[in-house]
Amino acid sequence: MDFSFTKKEEKFRTELRTWLETNLPEGWLEGKRDLPEDLDEYSRVLRAWQNKLYEGGWAAIAWPKEYGGKDASLMEEIIYHQEMVRVKAPPLINYIGIHMVGPTLIDIGTDEQKERYLKNILTGEEIWCQGYSEPGAGSDLTGLKTRAVKDGDSDRWLINGQKVWTSFGHVADKCFLLTRTSNHPEKKHRGITVFMMDMHQTGVETLPIVQMDGHKDFNEVYMTDAVATDADVVGQVDSGWHVLIALMLHERTGIGAELFTLEKQFNDTVELTQQYKVNGKPLIEDPAIRQRLANFYARVRGSLLNYYKNLTTTIKNGQPGAETSIDKLVVTELNQALSAFAVEIQGHQGVLWDKDAVADPKWQHLFLASFGQTIGGGTSEVQRNTIGERVLGLPKDMGR
Amino acid sequence: MDFSLTEEQEMFRGHIRKMLDKFGGTQVARDMIDNNPESLKKVYSTLAELGCSGINIPEEYDGMDLDALDLVPTFEEMGRSLVPGLFMETSALAVPILKKYGTDEQKQNYLPGVATGEKLISFAALEPFNDFSPAGIQCELAQKDGQWLLNGTKTLVPEAELADAFLLLVRTNKEHTEDGLTLVLIDKTDALTIESQSSFDEAKHVAKIEFTNLVITPEQIIGEVDKGWEQLQEGLLYFNAALSSYIVGAMENVVNMATEYAKIREQFGQAIGRFQAIKHSIVNMKVNLEIARSLSHYANWVVDTDEFDREAAVYSARTYATEKFIEVSAHNIQIHGGIGFTEEIDCHLFVKRARYYNQYLGSTSFYQEKVVSSLGW
Repeated sequence: MDFSFTKKEEKFRTELRTWLETNLPEGWLEGKRDLPEDLDEYSRVLRAWQNKLYEGGWAAIAWPKEYGGKDASLMEEIIYHQEMVRVKAPPLINYIGIHMVGPTLIDIGTDEQKERYLKNILTGEEIWCQGYSEPGAGSDLTGLKTRAVKDGDSDRWLINGQKVWTSFGHVADKCFLLTRTSNHPEKKHRGITVFMMDMHQTGVETLPIVQMDGHKDFNEVYMTDAVATDADVVGQVDSGWHVLIALMLHERTGIGAELFTLEKQFNDTVELTQQYKVNGKPLIEDPAIRQRLANFYARVRGSLLNYYKNLTTTIKNGQPGAETSIDKLVVTELNQALSAFAVEIQGHQGVLWDKDAVADPKWQHLFLASFGQTIGGGTSEVQRNTIGERVLGLPKDMGR
Repeated sequence: MDFSLTEEQEMFRGHIRKMLDKFGGTQVARDMIDNNPESLKKVYSTLAELGCSGINIPEEYDGMDLDALDLVPTFEEMGRSLVPGLFMETSALAVPILKKYGTDEQKQNYLPGVATGEKLISFAALEPFNDFSPAGIQCELAQKDGQWLLNGTKTLVPEAELADAFLLLVRTNKEHTEDGLTLVLIDKTDALTIESQSSFDEAKHVAKIEFTNLVITPEQIIGEVDKGWEQLQEGLLYFNAALSSYIVGAMENVVNMATEYAKIREQFGQAIGRFQAIKHSIVNMKVNLEIARSLSHYANWVVDTDEFDREAAVYSARTYATEKFIEVSAHNIQIHGGIGFTEEIDCHLFVKRARYYNQYLGSTSFYQEKVVSSLGW
């Protein structure tokens, strides 16, 4: 057991920290972290940030050097996330391109596809979204109905259907799109094909979804005779499910970033209990509050340590196992509990919203956003099925 | 970074598991329920042969001078089979206290005997109608005519009949409310009045000991007089790290029982493990187990360091493990249905032990307060 970082890892951390200090937007470290509300302006600022990361060599550290990455180890990725959380760095607008599409193309894309797409992912020239969920295909993704049909003898495919919950859809240039290309009612995983579809065409229409927290992070995407070509197929026609599985294996350290954020938010909550008073006494002196803090401390530390345990296994085996579903389940549910607690201890002023909210971070936003976390990226119920079936070996229910 | 046990530690675990399986696993605990300590004695002598009892004893006292982390496989495997007895009180409470506060003579008198498995030390702290806190300790050690005399009653002393010695927590100063206690280590003699008490967890034997003008020599006093409570904390750190490991081993067995049963038990024409109500309940047990394991491995690493979170890590491992042990062993009964309610199936042994340890040497709120205050909050 060893919790130290190697000299090389420490050097990596220092390099990144130094780079961030000189390159973050002006005033960012001092707390001037408001991003523009106007969508075009928001997108322009974040694309510029992404390009700055690219120029500094920090856009996609896990990619191989020959494609513009740093060949970073898993530990270096962890350090990267820790440092980004530490300075509350601006969000990565091309997250899907950097962490999912890029590594998948490097893995199974053709030479032409790599040449055509990888650099634009790095620079932020082309922002990606992914078209997975549909109104009738949520947890059961195989229920997707968006169809891609070959247009006669040409190399063109015509795509018709609707996607929903498409993150970054409103700013994206490209979509990593799951479509049905043939029907197999008994084996619904078959007959799915992944296309890289251009979002800027007449057959594609994007409409924002207003969330319960007022944000518009997701979109509906309607496709009416939208066009993609043979050259846009990822992997083989009808074997998109394998592509999807390959893609998921590349999402190696995203949960780590969420856990580091959670740990920071827990420390912020402790500060809140030191600042707030009930009948003249700091909340933290209340034994009931102290018990709950101790309880959260155990759960937050336990989740983080469990992540390190699974990470150790991933490093040893070369790829993550099904037990990493535990990390996703735990961090999202804990996030929900912690933000609810943070709102609760503010008393009735806990209902003050946005600019009137009294504490920083804006716990009311985090509380509402936390409901999305136990749904997106596989609901808690789906995670529990995965853990039950793939970690414990329990049989599947008869519907699946 | 490497957050895992070493291959050697895992291999060592394999030896202990094989040995305990040969004894029939929980059969050892069941024999104790029948007041037959013979198989437990054999298990302990085999553990000693494997070297378990000498792991954390310094080399000069015939031990291996290894760390708390090297004891983790032993404790986890003992927990898996719910092995009762005084191994934890001896190796993880008395030994760390002796190592830190004992004189050379006291170490020489006890540590080599512990290493060979000849000496087991029980811990007598609690008293009738009193709690585990400085104010709760009223058993009095006072000087009279140049002699220390001990008077009072200790209850809930674990496995007194198997103990070779007792570590006692007694009051030497009535004015001092935060401490004023002293640790004393006495050998078992016929002069002691030991009366067994019935325990809710029948595999854990407990007894009442009465002291009437028992003469205590200065050589039997561990460390400083009036600082017993403070010194005990060092032992509690190691003990709770060990206890969290023991519980992780027990929880692992519980999760395994529930999983295997859900695979073979059929209702409505299918294995009940197919139903999400059952599946998700077992998954929640598994998640609790894994978090407890991670907390406990870290606790056993950090306890031998001087990291700032040493206390917080150990005590959060303890509270999390003891709380979740109750929860998973309760769910295990529910998943087993009617058969889980019987004496025949092991389910009840775990829920009883979970309850026993939940309130052993301090409650959840006692340790939660320690977590928070040790972090300076």
